[in-house]
Amino acid sequence: MNHEVCLTCENVERYLGEDESRVHALRGVSLTLKAGSVHSVVGPSGCGKSTLLYILGLLDSPDAGRVTIKSEAVSHLQDDELAQKRSELLGFIFQFHFLLEDFSAQENVMIPMRKLGKLRENEMLERAATLLDAVGLAGKRARPSRHLSGGEQQRVAIARALANDPQVILADEPTGNLDTENSHRAFELLQRIVQEGGKALLLVTHNPQIAELCDWVHEMQDGLIVNTHGLD
Amino acid sequence: MTPPLYIAVRFLGHRKRAFLLSLSGVVFGVAIFICSQAQTQGFAQQFINSTLGSNGSLVLRARFQPLGSGLLVPPKASSAKANATHRRYLEGITNAREIMRVSRQFSNVAACSPVLRGTLSARSGFENATVDLYGIDAALHVQTTNLTNQIIDGAFNDFRDNATSLIVGSKLAELLNVVAGDSMQLLSPGGDYWRFTVAAIARSGVGAVDAGRVYCHAKIAQSLLRKPFAASMIIYKLRDPDRAPALARHFETLFQHDTQSWQEREAGNLQLFVTLRMSAAITVSLIILLAGFGIFNVLTMSVLSKVKEIAILRSMGYRRGDISAIFLWQGAMIAAAGALLGCVAGALLTAAISHIPIRVRGLIVADHFLVAWDWRHYFWATMLAMIAVFIASYVPARRAAQLPPVATLRGSSV
Repeated sequence: MNHEVCLTCENVERYLGEDESRVHALRGVSLTLKAGSVHSVVGPSGCGKSTLLYILGLLDSPDAGRVTIKSEAVSHLQDDELAQKRSELLGFIFQFHFLLEDFSAQENVMIPMRKLGKLRENEMLERAATLLDAVGLAGKRARPSRHLSGGEQQRVAIARALANDPQVILADEPTGNLDTENSHRAFELLQRIVQEGGKALLLVTHNPQIAELCDWVHEMQDGLIVNTHGLD
Repeated sequence: MTPPLYIAVRFLGHRKRAFLLSLSGVVFGVAIFICSQAQTQGFAQQFINSTLGSNGSLVLRARFQPLGSGLLVPPKASSAKANATHRRYLEGITNAREIMRVSRQFSNVAACSPVLRGTLSARSGFENATVDLYGIDAALHVQTTNLTNQIIDGAFNDFRDNATSLIVGSKLAELLNVVAGDSMQLLSPGGDYWRFTVAAIARSGVGAVDAGRVYCHAKIAQSLLRKPFAASMIIYKLRDPDRAPALARHFETLFQHDTQSWQEREAGNLQLFVTLRMSAAITVSLIILLAGFGIFNVLTMSVLSKVKEIAILRSMGYRRGDISAIFLWQGAMIAAAGALLGCVAGALLTAAISHIPIRVRGLIVADHFLVAWDWRHYFWATMLAMIAVFIASYVPARRAAQLPPVATLRGSSV
């Protein structure tokens, strides 16, 4: 398998808040995600996990340090260019799926594809159907997302994150809103997609069982990665 | 279909009640705007048509001599207007035929007719009235005005064939209690009454004309009024009445006769109609403005309820411009649908109103609501709706685009 570097960050720093409430959320975090690897970031609430995820996902800008995607520095890019990178290279999964509730499962999966604009309508329909099949929702493609269960909605969110075949998948507590069985099913699904598709996955989690199943576990504390260990 | 447009359509489709509420405001505003403009312009157009049909687009009157023309130092060009008031007027037009011959060379002149005008007393039975006598050349006058179309009693041919006959304004005829075929007397300046036959009654639609005007033959009028000249004015029918002011200025210079365009002659009345139209437009614009406020509220609520969706769209690569476009498209669709339906409703309403009977006997004469069918009403109503809705959509759209996705996503995290 090709283990090329998909995403790196070097000495990333980030301050949050203003004046007296200003917090040094990230204090020089460095991280490298290679294709085919699954990384988890663990740590107590407020240690900077989500902040790191949003910076790596180009939704937020670091105050210092640099982020590189596929060898291209992206920290300095304009908002529209960052949006284009997100559309092409990144897939997001959140704890709260944030599906568009008026849209069907299939339409939700097609939304990123519409933005990227590389596929025709019938090709998008076909790809959305394939992705929903892969997450076990073949029979519920046309169902409005608000009529799906929590687990099903999260699986639609996973399919949506994969819609544009991203190099990096960033997941913020993807199993945080699911029961144990659904958590493991969702994680296994992600793990399989990453390994089969040669992608990189970084997930922020509070679930130690999920974290221990990852290739790499990064422990964060007070804005720093204090420990990293791989799956033996 | 662009992604923002696709999402906008879906968002609107799932907020049917709010959409219909916004739409109805725009439809109502556009329809009322069109209807009110059609009415005010309808009455104005009727007045203009009537006055042009009776008095012509241009009137050439008395000859003038500029005072001070013999000065060694000519007056400054900038004081031309002031000079216009320093004139000596010489009553009557002595060379009417020559002026008319030259006038007809102008492409805008469709027809012209000499008129000898004077004020007399009229008597019929026990009724008396002051009349505005128009001595006309029947053949030329019908080419210049629509007098034949104004006949409501009697026949124009009876007037043309009988030298001692009159055509009497409809309101004057009511006052003097005469109908076609009756006799009527006009008092000459010498103090003797001349007897005439009323050949026809004419209704021009202009109150002042119908209340005082009497037409007789030019030669009879000249004898009756004891005038040394055959014409005191020349009435012009123009192919393009809108160009009358320019032609009037040109004729003044060319013929050295006082010349007045219909716009100058009817300035007071036209100003009244313009004021009414503006007043109606401003009032109705407020309705459209209120519709705009409704749309503003609907879209603002939509933005607030879609904060999470906006954040997730941003995370999927949608730019700020795309997010903004989603809400602007919603406004545009409301405006487009509202303007389209509003134009249809406005046309139906205008058609319905044109059938409502109303008896107007004043500045103009009308028996039902007068409306004008003018594409510009529809254009401006649409433009107004578009502008109002764009402004109403812009603020929520801008707000949506500026929502920081991280703040929303972070706020939703545990």
